[in-house]
Amino acid sequence: MLKNAILTLLSLAMAIGLGGYSVWYALNAQDGVGAIRIGRWTAFPEMGTLAADPYSKARVARSGVLALGQAEGLAFVAERDEAGEPLKRECTYSIEGGYPTARFWTLYAADQSLGVIDTGKTRQSALQSYEVLRQPDNSVVITAGNRPAPGNWLLTGGSGKMYFVLTFYDTPIASSTGLSDVTLPRILKVGCNA
Amino acid sequence: MRSMLHALILGLLGAGIVHIVVLFLVPEFSERDAWSRLAMASDLYKMTRLDAEAGGAPVVKSVDPLFYAAACRFDLADGLVRIKAPGDVPFWSASVYDRSGHNIYSFNDHNANGEKLDAVVLTPAQMIDVRRDLPEDLQGAIFVEAPIEEGVFVVRAFVPDESWKPIVSRFLEQSACELQDY
Repeated sequence: MLKNAILTLLSLAMAIGLGGYSVWYALNAQDGVGAIRIGRWTAFPEMGTLAADPYSKARVARSGVLALGQAEGLAFVAERDEAGEPLKRECTYSIEGGYPTARFWTLYAADQSLGVIDTGKTRQSALQSYEVLRQPDNSVVITAGNRPAPGNWLLTGGSGKMYFVLTFYDTPIASSTGLSDVTLPRILKVGCNA
Repeated sequence: MRSMLHALILGLLGAGIVHIVVLFLVPEFSERDAWSRLAMASDLYKMTRLDAEAGGAPVVKSVDPLFYAAACRFDLADGLVRIKAPGDVPFWSASVYDRSGHNIYSFNDHNANGEKLDAVVLTPAQMIDVRRDLPEDLQGAIFVEAPIEEGVFVVRAFVPDESWKPIVSRFLEQSACELQDY
């Protein structure tokens, strides 16, 4: 009798514990169903729409974000450089290459919660396409680091994990058909301050 | 031993069921979704800044640091809601979200008449009523038919650099979100 009670309790504890934990784990993982990967960049075109999967719906409800609509733009997030190493705030990166068609784009360095990183300086850790210098072939080379750099400089700083968020506004790539032949810039590590 | 195995299998099965149930219940019971956060910050039909620029912590995490945003909550059961904003900014975009934060409809300044933000959100039933006799001053507006009652309207505006900050702030502060009589 006691044995039965303990076994029942065990099943229940397992069900509730494992079930709850697995949902929590799945909702905190950065990638998920419905992601589109281009190079090291990831986007969720369906996030925040009615067509989204239950996981991203739950994620949206928990974080309270209001996702960009299709006529607004599409955001790509990178958490690793070209070599597959996680991005770090103490390192300098070179982001180079061409950008797909859009009215304009913005690029910023983000922390874990995808908010812009706080560098403690007045200069924001963000760049946009109207202010960048371009190469003769219309591509852009951006240096991201905590030391001023010639050309386009994206200020970062501090230490720990970092993400780059690249958002295209008013762009045809936000409709899923446009995503097939899009190339995004590459993120190359230049060096780190130990 | 056998009953132990039995209990473990039952536990795993139960975990699967709990996983699915919890997953579908999270959006229903979340108190951290955008609507709830906005409700704590302000009333219905009141444009509220979402970014931290207006002082205090941001109400809803407004993602892009080069953007300012404002939002108002509305309830279409009360009538149509009209959103207007004067002035010229480099880029604005607007979205209608339902109660649980799904993006129902979005548009930007290139879709609008004369690049001025003037939009009316209404239900399909109200649309039929309005179409029968379209008021004069609604003629230039963008009509957003949304099969919802409660919702959130968000305006986002691009701030290319420091010098645009006051202009974009004014654009959002002068934007209005009000119940419309028809």
